[in-house]
Formats: sequence, structure tokens, C-alpha cells
Amino acid sequence: MFVLKNAWRNVIRNKGRNILVAIIVAIIAAAATIGLAIRQAAVTARETGLDNTTITAQISFDRSKAISELRESSSSDSSSSSDSSDSSSSSSDSKPDFDAMREAMSDKQLSLADYEKYAKASSAVKSTYYTETASLAETDAVQPVEDSTSSGSSSSSSSSSSSSSDSSSSTSDSDSTKSDGNAQSGDGQQGQPGGGQGGGDMGGGMTMASGDFSLVGFSSDEAVANAENGTFTMSDGEVFGYDSDSDGDVIISKELADFNNLKVGDTFTLENVNDEDTTYTFTIVGIYENSTESSNQMGGPMGSTASDPANAIYTSVSTLKSLGLDADSTTSSTDSSGNTVETAAAQLNYTYVFSSKDDYEQFVSDAEKAGLSDDYTVSSADVEQYESSLVPLDNLAQFALTLLWIVLGVGAVVLVVLTLFNVRERKYEVGVLTAIGVKKVKVAAQFTFELLVVTMIGLALGAAGGAVASVPVSNQLLAAQVAQQESQASSQNAQFGRDMQGPGAQGGSSSSSSSSSSDSSSDASGSDSSNSSDSSSSSSSANAQNQPGGNGPRGMMGQAVNYVSNVNATVNLKIVGQLLLIGLGLTLVAALVAVVFVMRYEPLQILADRS
Amino acid sequence: MTEPTPILELDNVSYSYTKGGKKVLKNISHTFRTGEVYSITGPSGAGKTTMLSLISGLTSPTEGKVVYNGKDLAKQDRYDYRSHDIGVIFQSFNLLPQLTVAENIILSMDASGKTFDKPKKDIAVKLLEQVHLPAEYANERILHLSGGEQQRVAIARALSYDPKVVVADEPTGNLDMATQDDIMSIFRALAHDEDRCVIIVTHSPEVAAASDEVFELAPLRRRA
Repeated sequence: MFVLKNAWRNVIRNKGRNILVAIIVAIIAAAATIGLAIRQAAVTARETGLDNTTITAQISFDRSKAISELRESSSSDSSSSSDSSDSSSSSSDSKPDFDAMREAMSDKQLSLADYEKYAKASSAVKSTYYTETASLAETDAVQPVEDSTSSGSSSSSSSSSSSSSDSSSSTSDSDSTKSDGNAQSGDGQQGQPGGGQGGGDMGGGMTMASGDFSLVGFSSDEAVANAENGTFTMSDGEVFGYDSDSDGDVIISKELADFNNLKVGDTFTLENVNDEDTTYTFTIVGIYENSTESSNQMGGPMGSTASDPANAIYTSVSTLKSLGLDADSTTSSTDSSGNTVETAAAQLNYTYVFSSKDDYEQFVSDAEKAGLSDDYTVSSADVEQYESSLVPLDNLAQFALTLLWIVLGVGAVVLVVLTLFNVRERKYEVGVLTAIGVKKVKVAAQFTFELLVVTMIGLALGAAGGAVASVPVSNQLLAAQVAQQESQASSQNAQFGRDMQGPGAQGGSSSSSSSSSSDSSSDASGSDSSNSSDSSSSSSSANAQNQPGGNGPRGMMGQAVNYVSNVNATVNLKIVGQLLLIGLGLTLVAALVAVVFVMRYEPLQILADRS
Repeated sequence: MTEPTPILELDNVSYSYTKGGKKVLKNISHTFRTGEVYSITGPSGAGKTTMLSLISGLTSPTEGKVVYNGKDLAKQDRYDYRSHDIGVIFQSFNLLPQLTVAENIILSMDASGKTFDKPKKDIAVKLLEQVHLPAEYANERILHLSGGEQQRVAIARALSYDPKVVVADEPTGNLDMATQDDIMSIFRALAHDEDRCVIIVTHSPEVAAASDEVFELAPLRRRA
């Protein structure tokens, strides 16, 4: 193959020009490598981030849709009504169209039977659990812990360190393993407390913030493990059972126990919120301590004591049912404007658990097939939160794509022009070669091969440089994107007139937002790092903030979105392959020009011009 | 002198650059045999170089045909013909200036696709000797050579793949008399000793006189 030999000789001979071409190709290749690496990281982050994570979802009434429809008909500002269709909540501002909205939405709550119907409709559902939350009023004997946020959180945080180690009973063991399992298998479950709340906020279950205590009924250990107020550990006694034998068994927080001087085995009595004559008696079977610090914070001045996690009394749904406080029962109450309203006695919060995002998507379509109307949405706070954490990465990926196209475009043009000059310059050589009988195809092949050698060298250098630079460069770019996203979010917050949650909160996307704790969100995104393969994203909790969380009324809820602020844009074989294809493509485009020119040249013409 | 079968034959050949345009050559017929030196002479514009282009397969005649070894040139690959069968010494040598002498020669050998029984470099050195150039010129760049030396390298290159026909365009055009004689003696040796067909395009009477047969192209009358 003298063509190859010749080509190689020419490569060596024309060092200057070839080095120039190689440098240009190297720059293109480096930029392309970084672009590809970023894109790949984004894709992998999206695909694998939730792969091995358990995802939970809620079905919720699409209130924003209903509200916006109502807002069109009534001019008044209704931005605040998002959580107040449940009458008895006094936490939100009353608005002129409040009743209309409430009316429109009052029939929309799904019953337990509805939820179960959809759970059965899809095989993708791994498991389900639910909680019901009812409100109870204090009695003289038992008073709610009524204190500021700080004491609640500090006490629990200080105690959490020493807690749980000595929990002896089998039930609490299983609980702690459960939460351990959460931490390991996918912190998405850790994020669930927030997630569950998120769905609730959307309309599944409005938090009952009136009353002095919240009585939370759990359907299973899984529900307990994902308690709204965060994980807890038993400091004494054991968790209640779920069958009717255990009706009346409750566990209370250590704060409440200490406050009222209660201990395991004691019984206490609480009143119905709306009816002082109705009382309920509970047996304390255990005392728990919240271990999730951030959820312990109370909502703020607007929150009632019931929203203080310390005043949450945990029991089984069976207990609630036996007391007539479950979601299917109704209770009448008088709201702030003096109207008597029939409402469900408890707030139902039904959660579907999926083993992967695919299953979740499967469920979404299955539920629709099963007759879930457009008025409801299936939402997963895990997925949404994860996706909103990917916003900067997506922007970056978009940017990377644009960059890639520009670089390739410019690169192709530069390479074509260089080749063009090269061929014209070597017109004489082409003439001589063809005159002595070298076929044009071979001359063209020689030129192509020369270009290929040079571009491949440039490509190798560029890929190496790009591989070295891709991680720091993409992280740098991502940091800029995150900063931009944050400032956007905060300006959005300002624009919406909502509470400024600080730079970490994302008001704009808070349709999915909830009282997620910062812990849960950082965990949710932190799971990537443990689950992801070599080129997926990991996130750091750079923006972790303690947001006001817990059961606080709206306005107090914030979401700390931990943007994926760190991608592992490693260059792997796939990228090298893509790069090779790009390099070959560019070379072919440029070589095509050379070929066209070589083919057009007639040896006689060239030689005649010369002489 | 024997009368071998003609190696090359022009059969009523005409040529014009553009279709239907002015004819540069008109109805030329001639036969070339191996073992002889032919001179093609004529005034400027008579079509000498065009005729050489036709013979060397750089272009095809508009009418008539060029027959090599009994086969119509138009029906075979002219690139193969150029690289195998005919050695062309161009007026401007057409050596590649960035290559060395040996590289230029070896390039032609490579292009011919022929196999050689000796290392190509050895053949190149031997060819240099044949054209009266010292062996150490082999690694010299073309640009470092004089016109006469380049002429000799061009001849060596044309001979490198052992063609039966050697064509030279004004090989003595700008050389001094001594060199001219030397070059002509090389051509004669090629024809007479190695039984090749040597065709020289020239307007030098000395060259014409030194050849075995002179073919004179008459100046074309311009057509209206």
C-alpha cells in the first residue's frame, strides 16, 4: 500500500500545517468531549438516579387546576387557598372566594376504597400504606407541649444521639431496621416523609392543624417508618399492633410524655375537637423520640400545637376506625366564618410504593386506565424533587448540546477550509501523481488518509485533554447554573409574594413542594452517589438548609431543593466511541472536499499550467 | 534493422480541446516500433505536445484511435497504461520538489504496482548510474539539483518501471550542447540496446538529426 506509505510520509513532511490541523482538531475534540460527557452525565443521572430507589407516590386532586378555573371566574386573589379546603383549618387567610373553592373541591377527596382500587389496578405497585390524621383537643389532665420551635428541635436533636440504641422490643427493632433499610436501599424513602406531605399538600390530605393533638393512625410498619414527622426511635415500650386487639394503644413523643408525666402503661383521655363531651381513652404502649431533627420544627406562629411533632400521637388506623375518627367518618365543625361544615374526621394520606421509576410511570398510566379522572394527578415527590434537582443539570446539558453543535459546525468549516487550501496548494503534486499513472481514487485516498492520521492524533490529544478537563469544567459550569437557578428561584419567590425561603427554596416549582425537610431532600439526592454508576451524578448538599417543615400551615412550608451541583462527567468508552464517530465524520466532510477537488483536476491541465 | 510489429500506432487521430472546436491535430497516422528513436518536430503550435499527450495517454483523441500493442487505448485504463507501459519525461520534469531523488523514482515504481526482484532503492541507484548521475544524488532533494540533473532524474524515473515506450517532451530544451549530446546518447542506448521505443518531441535540429526517424508535423492552417 504505497498510498498509505506516501500519506504517512506526507504527514511527517508537512509538520507545520499538520500540527496546526491537529491542534484545531484537538480543541474541537476537547470541547466535544466535555459536551458529550456533560450530556451523558445528565442522562445517566436521570436514568439511574432513581433506578434503585423506592419511589412513593400519591394520588391527589389537581387543585391548582380547579383553583385556576375558579380564579378566572372570580377576580379575587386566591393564591393562598391551597390548603384550606378543609374547613377547620384556621391557618390560612380567609378569602372571599373561599367557599366557592371549597365547595368545588369538597367532593373530590378520594376515599380509602378509591385508593385501594387504583392500587389493585396496577401490578406495578409494590406496596401501599396510608395514614389517617385526626385532631384531638386537650383535657385538663393532658396538655399539649406548647413551646417554641427551638425547644422542640433542640431537645430532640440532643436526645437523638443517645436514643434508640437500647430499644429492646422486637417491634421497635423491626422499625429501626426498617429505617435503616431506608437509608441504605434508597434514601428516597427517607425523603418520603416530605413526599407524603407533598401529596397531602396537593390535596390528598390536608393537615388538620386545629385541635391540640394530632392523632395519626398508621396502616402498617411501613407507614410508621415513613411517618410524616420523620423517623423516630422508641425510647421506651414498643410500637402498637395493627389489629383490633391493639385498639386504643398509642405511642407518644418523649416530650409529650415528659410534659404530662406519662409513662408506658398509663392511660389518658382526650376530647373531640368539636365536641367536648366526646372523649377518647388511650393506652400508652410506647414512647418515641423523633430522630429527624428538621421535621421537629414547628411551623411558626400560625401553627397550632397539633402541628408540633411533639404533640403527635401515633396509633394504628384500626384505633381511629374504632373511635370513629377515620377518614370515612364525618364530623361537623364550625369554621372561622361561623359556618358549620361536615368534614371527614380524619385526613387520609395514601401512599403507593414502587420499586422503580418505571413502575411509577406504569402506575400512572394504569391508574388512568382504571378510571382516574383528569381532575386527579398522580404525583411522586421523590420523582419531582429529583427532577427539580436536575434542572441546572438539564440546563447545562442543553448548553452542552448547543456548544457541541457550534463547535462541530465551526470545526467542520475550519477543517474544510484548511483542507481546501491544502489541496489547492498541492495541486501540482496531484497533477504529477496522476500523470505518472496514480489513479485519482488513490490520490484522494492518500489525502483522506493524511487528514485522518492528523485528525486522529488531534482527536486523541483532545479527548485526553477533554477527559482531564471535563470533570472540573462541567462542575464549574454546573455551579454557575445552580447559582443562576437559585437566584431565579428566589426572585420568583419575591414575585409571588410568598415567604422568602432563602436561596435554597424553590418557590417556582413548589407545586410539588411540600414540607420536605432538608434532610429528606438531601438524602434523596444523595442517594445518587451511592447508587449511581461511574458516570452518573452525585449531589452534594450544598444548599442544605433547615427549612421550616413539619405540619405547619402553608406559607411555612418551604422546599429545599438540593440541586445536583456536582456531576461526575467521567469520560468513558461510550464517549470515546462517539468522539471517534464525530472525528470520522468531520474528517470525511473535509476529505470529501479534497476528493471533489482531486477528481476535478486533470493532470494535463495542471502540468500545462505549470509549463 | 528488423521490422518488429509496431508497439504504438496513431490511427487517423484528430484532437480539439473543445468539442467541435478548433482542431489542434488533424488526421494524423503514424506507427512507432521498438528499438528506434523517433523525433516529432514542427513549428510552435503544430500540436507537438498535444500529440505527446495522446501518446502518453494523458488525453484521448477526439477522432481516430491510439493503439498500443494492438489494443485501442480508449478501451483500457489510461492510468494503468501511464503507470506501466509508458515512461514520460515532461518538459518541466514534473518531479516532486519536496521529495528526494530516490523517493521520486521509487514513487513511480510504487505507482506502477509492479513487483521488482531487487530492492527499489538499489534499482534507483542503478538507474542514476544509467543516466550518468552519481549514486550519492539519491538522497538529494530535487530542488538542490540543476536543470540538467533534474532532466536526468526525470529520465531515470521514466525508466524505473521498465516501460516499452519512453516519451520525452523537449528533453534538451534548455541544456548546453554537451549535456544535450549526453542525454541523446542515453536515449539512443535505450532504443538500440534495450529495445525500447523512444519518442522525442523537439524543435532542435540536432536532436532530430540524432534520431532514427523524424516525423514532422506541418503547421495547421487555421480554419475560418
